[in-house]
Amino acid sequence: MTNPAVGAIAFVTLLTIVVGARGIRVARTPDDFMVAARQVPPGINAAAISGEYLSAASFLGIAGLIVSQGLGSLWYSVGYTAGYLVLLLLVAAPLRRFGAYTIPDFADGRLGSKGLRQAATALVLVIGWFYLLPQMKGAGITLQWVLGTPYWVGVVALGVVVSGNIAMGGMKGITFVQCFQYWLKLCAIGIPALVLLIATGHDSARNLQPDRAPVFTRATVLQVSQTTDFTLARPARATVSGLIDQRRYRRQTVPLCACRHVAGAGAQIGFAAGAPVPTSLAMAPSPGVSWDSPLSAAGTDGAHPLASTYGIIIATFFGAVGLPHILVRFYTNPDGEAARRTTLIVVLLLSTFYMFPAVLAVLTRLHAPQLYLAGDSDNVLLALPSLLLPGLPGALLAALVAAGAFAAFLSTSSGLLVSVAGALSHDFMNRGVTSFRWCAIAAGAVATAASLLIGRFSLALLVGWAFAIAASSFCPLLVLGIWWRQLTRAGAAAGIVVGGGACLAAILATMTGAATRGWSAVLLGQPAIWTVPLAFGVMIVTSLLTQRTLPGNVGQVMLRMHLPEALSRQDYRSFPLERARRSAGR
Amino acid sequence: MEETRPAQPQLAQPQLAQPQLAQPQLAQPQLAQRQLVVWRGDQVPVQHDIPGPGDLRDDTNTGRLLIGSLVRAQLGLSLMCLMLALTVTVSFPLVAALVPAIGRTRVAGLPVTLIVLGFAFYPVFLAVGWFYHRQARQLEARFTDLVDPPR
Repeated sequence: MTNPAVGAIAFVTLLTIVVGARGIRVARTPDDFMVAARQVPPGINAAAISGEYLSAASFLGIAGLIVSQGLGSLWYSVGYTAGYLVLLLLVAAPLRRFGAYTIPDFADGRLGSKGLRQAATALVLVIGWFYLLPQMKGAGITLQWVLGTPYWVGVVALGVVVSGNIAMGGMKGITFVQCFQYWLKLCAIGIPALVLLIATGHDSARNLQPDRAPVFTRATVLQVSQTTDFTLARPARATVSGLIDQRRYRRQTVPLCACRHVAGAGAQIGFAAGAPVPTSLAMAPSPGVSWDSPLSAAGTDGAHPLASTYGIIIATFFGAVGLPHILVRFYTNPDGEAARRTTLIVVLLLSTFYMFPAVLAVLTRLHAPQLYLAGDSDNVLLALPSLLLPGLPGALLAALVAAGAFAAFLSTSSGLLVSVAGALSHDFMNRGVTSFRWCAIAAGAVATAASLLIGRFSLALLVGWAFAIAASSFCPLLVLGIWWRQLTRAGAAAGIVVGGGACLAAILATMTGAATRGWSAVLLGQPAIWTVPLAFGVMIVTSLLTQRTLPGNVGQVMLRMHLPEALSRQDYRSFPLERARRSAGR
Repeated sequence: MEETRPAQPQLAQPQLAQPQLAQPQLAQPQLAQRQLVVWRGDQVPVQHDIPGPGDLRDDTNTGRLLIGSLVRAQLGLSLMCLMLALTVTVSFPLVAALVPAIGRTRVAGLPVTLIVLGFAFYPVFLAVGWFYHRQARQLEARFTDLVDPPR
């Protein structure tokens, strides 16, 4: 199969490895990296942050979820952007002024407790691994789509490439690679969206009508790749070749009732224009929530969609603050004021990016509804260009999408694996480069193995869970640590353990299928709605009860976080930005 | 307290500028009189009581009061902006749940949900972020001028 997508993916991967390998010479130690990176101007820094942040969920997951579940899933893209607004408002400048390099560093420096530091490190591992799973899954389904390889091949390939690259010392502070990855991802989603929008026009808005099952806008032949259960909204006639409902046909016209059917692997079902689009039972939309509703249900019965929507909002709005791989990038700003400017630019860059998944998802709904029947909604974006634009242009667009998707997996998983391996080697092993390398390989292997088990969960859902854990543990730690003098060690430790633990338990219960209906499905499937207030509450109450253990240096620490640079650093004025810019360009 | 110290540069400038500008002789006596009033010796000891960067570094009561006021002002600004952004976004699902007809409205053939969630919130976030960035910078500039007035 000669496919331009293969070349595009190979190009992106090789480029990342080669530029990463050059980074070994440029930055030998974390200190080198920090000194070099502190001279990065806000525009480049913001693109690097966005490049690392936009993951498989943003690139493939949201569009897939919108197509299958409805417009309510747009809350994920709104929330991923709003997360940076919250970061700007509450933590960006003070955190930069404090100078912490990781969240465990912050916990240790603010409250001076080794036990708290280790609890925070354990949570970094949990969140990092949770966030790595969807990246691996994305690689698996992308290679499955492009090369036709089994799911595990892509997962293992990404795991080997990323952990090998990091173990060899690449991807350490490669600000310019991450910056390039952002623009690549924006082009890889923006160009197909605009080209397909122009190519297809706006002629069949009837699939957007509320409460009406989508119909085929042109005669379409469905290729069933694996045995699939599906239903039809109303009876239709179809031309069938292959096995359907346990009978074998050979290009025969068959009346299909509005009931449940089973199509065998390899079957071809031809529908005329105007026929209803079959809905796969494996990914049927929730009843009770129409496709164009702004609400998103958690359980299979679609109960309590408002609570479930607020769960998504709380998790995504407050989760970005606590992601372990983002904080490092803020250290590369020269001061708190630059950190604010950088974050504001990040909000702009993310806003621009997140308009396009919505466009592509609506185009899919309008023109290619047969993609619903694909067993997995996450590869919708990969399939769309070739369907709407036959021939070479469609293949080239599909290659661009695949390259952008791979850039997303590579950049996010590299950033995460550096954080996870760094946390492991720094706090649980003997520090040093050799230890860091083995930790990178071990952490990558664990993530790869776990990813083989999570095939049935949507990418956006998995990333949303990582955000929920971060929002109910590190978000209260950072927000209260920065703004509240009276936070104590015991309070912080109790808050992150109770909040993060409750959230993790709820998610694991959902993953094992403990609750699929009613309130339990909502509260376990979108746990942030109760675990975030719980974490804040436990942290505040425990701190108030243990005021006698307040750290003695709290005044100095607060001063360091909040004092403007003009006052805190006497040599600040003698360090002009021009000098920094000049040495950055060498 | 504040008015006395900034007066120093204003003082020096007319004297320096005098030969270059070659101003008419008439203006000189008036300027000289004003200078005498500002430099009155009995005002000098007041400067010892002006809170400065030293108070912040030594963690005196005045320093704590100053930094506390800065933190409260910053937090107030942040919470105000956060409430603004949250009210706009969070009210939409609530309104749509109470009045389902809103979720079904079309604008130019497109569902209103798509327009609001897909496009309309992002300019709001940018506007709030820009407003906050500007206000926070001004707040810090005012605080810096208060604690360490420009000489």
